[in-house]
This record gives sequence, C-alpha cells and structure tokens, in this order.
Amino acid sequence: MHCFFKKRLQPKSGVVYATQTGELLPIEDMPDAVFAEKTLGDGVCVLPSGNKIKVVSPVSGVISTIADSCHAFGVTTKDGAEIMVHVGVDTVELNGRFFWTRKRAGQTVRAGDTILHTDIAAISAAGLSTHTAILIANKEKFDIVEIFTGHVLAGETPVFRYRKKSTEEAQ
Amino acid sequence: MKKITYTVTERNGLHARPAGILVKLCNEFSSEILISTINQVASGKKLFALMNLCVKYGDEISVSISGIDEDTAAQVLQEFLYRHL
Repeated sequence: MHCFFKKRLQPKSGVVYATQTGELLPIEDMPDAVFAEKTLGDGVCVLPSGNKIKVVSPVSGVISTIADSCHAFGVTTKDGAEIMVHVGVDTVELNGRFFWTRKRAGQTVRAGDTILHTDIAAISAAGLSTHTAILIANKEKFDIVEIFTGHVLAGETPVFRYRKKSTEEAQ
Repeated sequence: MKKITYTVTERNGLHARPAGILVKLCNEFSSEILISTINQVASGKKLFALMNLCVKYGDEISVSISGIDEDTAAQVLQEFLYRHL
C-alpha cells in the first residue's frame, strides 16, 4: 500500500556511500594499475583511517558476491547497478587473514550495514596497501555523474552519484 | 562455436582482479562467451557472476565462445588464460 509513495520518491540518480571512515580519493590514486585504469569499473577509493574498523555496504541492495577471502564483495541495487568493493591491494594473498564477515551472498542489506570487519593496521603491517576501491562494475549501463572528495564517514558520506544511461547509450 | 579447456595455475584462482580483466576482454567481442566450471556456468561479460564461480587453483574451466568474432575472441582469451590464470 506504500507503493504509490515509493514510486514518487524514487530518485533519478543513485548515491553510493563511503564503505569506511577515511580519506576519499580519485580511483586513479589506487596503487594498482588494474584499478587505476578502471578495468574493474569506474569509481573512487577510500584510504581508511583507524585500526580495527568495519567496512559497510555502500548501497542498499542484495549481496551478489563475497570473496572467500573476504577482501572483496559486490552489492546489486534495485535499479541494477553493480557496486563492487575491493579492500586493499593484493589482499587476496592474505587468504582471509585480518578479514571477518558474517554475511553471505544473497542477503539483502541497507547502505551502512556492516559487511566486513578488517584489521587495517595488520594489513598495513603485512606490507599491503589498504586503499579500498568502490566501483560501479557495470559501467556500460551506468554513468557516474558526480564524484565527491575529502574526509568521509562510513555509511554516511556520499562518495559518488550514478545515473542509468539511456537505452541508446547503453547499446 | 569455439571451446577452450584450461586448468587454473594461478594460486589465488579467478579472484577480483583477473575476473575484471577477463570481463573487459570479453566485452570487446560481440560473441556470447560462457565460462563453466564442473557445476556452474557464468557469462564472461559479468563480473559478479564470474566471481561467484569461485574458481580455485587446480580447477578445470571451459570457455565457450559463439558468434561472428569467435576466432579472434578464442585467440585473445587463450592468451589471457596463459598469462593471468
């Protein structure tokens, strides 16, 4: 019975929020060429501050994938945007060390819900970068229309805004 | 249709970074490209679907390519497999 209002209030563009508290940087600052060149998608990166911190969902949607090693996950929004989060660079090598999660693929989450717990200090001590990429993976269907910068709070500060391409553009 | 069978030698399997490179390559071709493991199939053009295949070191995967540019795609993907997986 709330459908009428939901439809009216649906925004034309979607907002993606910070996954961690820290400093928001352009994706080109990711210390890994594959990310910096936007091979996995367009977006931003966050340099997290603090030691043991949580990584929250940047959007509301369904968890589409969580790596076994917990260093990366993807959430698909209602409008079909595939938002990918990759914590650190080469963190797959840690094989799950310094990462914990209780979430599973298929679960519905809201923006700001905790997905992972990470030990940022330990990842740094292991010699790995903690830069976290927040990307739109299906960039053939969506454009980023606004990118923010500065200090961000997990689940509270927007990092970028996206909009669905028109059908002709997406072809 | 072209089919390539490959046993994964990358010790971390098909994780986010190689999956992203694979998706980018697959999207350069109009052919339909499917990656299958022993029990699952995913489009080579979709990142999340590929990551959900959970391909590990030592797994055998097959790549099926069908479409007008299948010959070139097969060559490029064969090269990708050797270099990144």
